[in-house]
Amino acid sequence: MKKLLPILAIILVTCGALNAQSNFTVAYSMGFASGDLADFVSQASFRGATMEFRKMVQPNVGVGLTFGWNVFYEELSRESYTVGASTLTGKQFRYSNHFPMLLGGTYYLSPGEKFNPFVGLGIGTIYTRRNTDMNLYTVEQEAWNFALQPEVGFLYSVTDGAALFVSGRFNQGFKAGNELESDQSFFTLNVGFSFMNQ
Amino acid sequence: MAALPVVLLSCYPAGPEYVEDLDVTYTTYDQDFDFQSKSTYAMPDQIVIDVEIEDGDTTYVYMKDIFADPILAAIEDNMLAKGWERVGIHQDPEVLVTPAAISSTTYFYTYWYDWWYGGWYGGWGWYYPPSYTVSSYTTGTMIITMADPNVEDDSPINQSETAWVAAANGLFTGDYDLSRVTRAIDEMFDQSPYLKLN
Repeated sequence: MKKLLPILAIILVTCGALNAQSNFTVAYSMGFASGDLADFVSQASFRGATMEFRKMVQPNVGVGLTFGWNVFYEELSRESYTVGASTLTGKQFRYSNHFPMLLGGTYYLSPGEKFNPFVGLGIGTIYTRRNTDMNLYTVEQEAWNFALQPEVGFLYSVTDGAALFVSGRFNQGFKAGNELESDQSFFTLNVGFSFMNQ
Repeated sequence: MAALPVVLLSCYPAGPEYVEDLDVTYTTYDQDFDFQSKSTYAMPDQIVIDVEIEDGDTTYVYMKDIFADPILAAIEDNMLAKGWERVGIHQDPEVLVTPAAISSTTYFYTYWYDWWYGGWYGGWGWYYPPSYTVSSYTTGTMIITMADPNVEDDSPINQSETAWVAAANGLFTGDYDLSRVTRAIDEMFDQSPYLKLN
């Protein structure tokens, strides 16, 4: 985990420097698993964050980068797992980390207005790392999923340079590699602030 | 803003909270072995915890009775509940049940550079020098095997194949909490319905 911190720090610094006709968003991100991920971890995730940078290429069109982190976690009760003649009983601790990294485009419906709804689409990758811990051991499965991320949301201006940001995204990571056999997808609800540079 | 990764790390899921959360119990058996045709077993009155070999002489080291007796009683209770009759080693038992316990200590050392973040000054780096720590953990494993002593003449190496192996592993705390061991023994037998004769 510590390896990721400098990467996140660099991203933050870089995004802060690119500020002409742009906006930068930082948001808290709640995750709701679907499909194979929901089979692995059924509980919603309240641990996550996302940030995005958008450079305005038209008054109502922004393009840029979106990054995020969502970790899903579930502690299973003590259960038995049988394979053939062998049975193992114990507690499982399940973690699923997801790091979306996407190029994105956003279309703003009411630029300049106090209430500014938008729709967007991101294309890129989601790095997925799934850990199943039992006893002192962990089974780790990774995938770099090709990802699509449709988004709808709105900005609500609170000052000249800052707006409340609320969005819903569906993070669709398509099956990749041979460690995880299915798509990895989840919905996120993101609440934060956008900072504009006019 | 550079403090954000630190905030994210601090809310990472906690994982196991109690040492019992790491306890696992495992069983496996020979699917061709006919347990139902047997009904008597013999078991030693002591539990081997180590073997010392000095000048070619082999000496077994046994667990203290105060700990071994409740463990042996738990095995006997479970065998009785499954319909097995305990007999002496010289009364032609149809199977032998042999308990053993081993502990294993793993040492590891880690080093890392303490992190610091330049925060508002826009940089990050490490403190110097790095710090080193040495740690260890000890796991205890309880192993119970069941084998038919009457088939060793059929073996080229004069040994019986094991019909049933059960193992329980957990972190060793120094509390000598026997309930963790007796619970594991109960789980071993719960996992093994094929041992039931009645």
